[in-house]
Amino acid sequence: MRRHLTFFVTAARYDLVMHARNRFAMFLVVLYVPAWVTLAHAALPDKPAPVRLNSTGEFLSPPGDQLSQITGALNAVTLISGFMMFAATFNGGRFDRRLAMAGHPRIHLALAKTTSLALACAAVSVYATAVTCAAWIPRQPALLATALFCDAMTYGALGVLFGCVLRREVEGMFAMVMTSIIDVALQNPIANTGANSPLVRLLPSYGSMQAATGAGFTNGTMASCLAVQTLWFAGAALLALLAFHRRTRSAFPRTRRPRTPTRRRPAHGTR
Amino acid sequence: MVLRGIDISLRRGVVAGIVGENGAGKSTLLKILAGELRPQRGVVVHRGRFGYCPQDVVLNDALTVRQHLKFFMTAFGLSDLCRAEGLMEVLRFSEYADERAGVLSGGTRQKLNLTLALMHDPQVLLLDEPYQGFDWDTYRRFWDLAAGLREAGRSVLVVSHLAYDTGRLDELWYLEGGVLRPRAEAAP
Repeated sequence: MRRHLTFFVTAARYDLVMHARNRFAMFLVVLYVPAWVTLAHAALPDKPAPVRLNSTGEFLSPPGDQLSQITGALNAVTLISGFMMFAATFNGGRFDRRLAMAGHPRIHLALAKTTSLALACAAVSVYATAVTCAAWIPRQPALLATALFCDAMTYGALGVLFGCVLRREVEGMFAMVMTSIIDVALQNPIANTGANSPLVRLLPSYGSMQAATGAGFTNGTMASCLAVQTLWFAGAALLALLAFHRRTRSAFPRTRRPRTPTRRRPAHGTR
Repeated sequence: MVLRGIDISLRRGVVAGIVGENGAGKSTLLKILAGELRPQRGVVVHRGRFGYCPQDVVLNDALTVRQHLKFFMTAFGLSDLCRAEGLMEVLRFSEYADERAGVLSGGTRQKLNLTLALMHDPQVLLLDEPYQGFDWDTYRRFWDLAAGLREAGRSVLVVSHLAYDTGRLDELWYLEGGVLRPRAEAAP
């Protein structure tokens, strides 16, 4: 048990160090989130934007600038978490494989990545909610933060997936940016008058968008929307896990590993 | 097909080398031996702890040298870093312990790359162009290290596109056209 904990804690600690040293991601967090949210508030008209909450069937007419702040916050947190995880996976893929082949269990590496992703997403989501609250007070700030968190986690998993399957950095960055923009823009009733179309229910941020809108302008719990978003996260995380497993596997068949007196546990297989 | 009919066995206490021109398939062969690639046919049998130093330096630029060592200490299941610190002394890069890998020179990155392959005292060691970027002194210390491994009964396989190290090898193969041939003129 203690050995498993050591594997997990070591990997989680160094994952967090890697994220903290990603200066571009830090720059995005510190400047991009407030810039997006503030500009949406300052530049867009406060004309009511009709939007339907599909989970309750309720029609809302929130001010357009406030609704755009919510979509802007979703766009910002998804880009940041997606970019962070894509960069970490893309640049660290061979390093992860080397660690795995040295004997570090891949399940502990994957759990550590999920933990560091969750901590980073929680921090960014709380920050984005606080920035939003500086302009206007949503009805349920905690629910807004939760919706942002679930969406950021989903995009973090997509970032790992893109980092495993794409071959060039620019491909991953483009895929991440375009996915987030298309996803969020299609659901914004200001950008798309057909935002209530059944098609948008299939988008990766649909659950969070509905939950965040409900958090901003209603007192509903929006549990079903968060459940939909959690399903999206679970699906993306499963695909990411499979891609990570494939990328870090050894060509040798799995066998028992020899023990040595100087080591707590062995590192490489014997055939 | 890059490689054909490869049949090689590495004995205990031997420093062996494989040389060949660029693109001959040396790195592909070593990746197969190290478990990075799966051969279309045939088997690779390892006996004992195994270490692999890839040709491309595989490090994480965000982590310091010490963080790399601690991460791999956990992966290898080692109880301390004594051997790793000894290797850093031999390769003369202990003073960079708290520097991030991303800011190190090419030669120092390669020293760390090599240390990660050696720090768990492997019984079989596969090295792909291990002295790239080394200065002359470090290059000589590397061969002293290899001689020490031989004396300790370890098996070392060095792959290189240069043939001027052959005097330091116990066995030498030449890889040409995907076929591995022993070289009779190799030093005893």
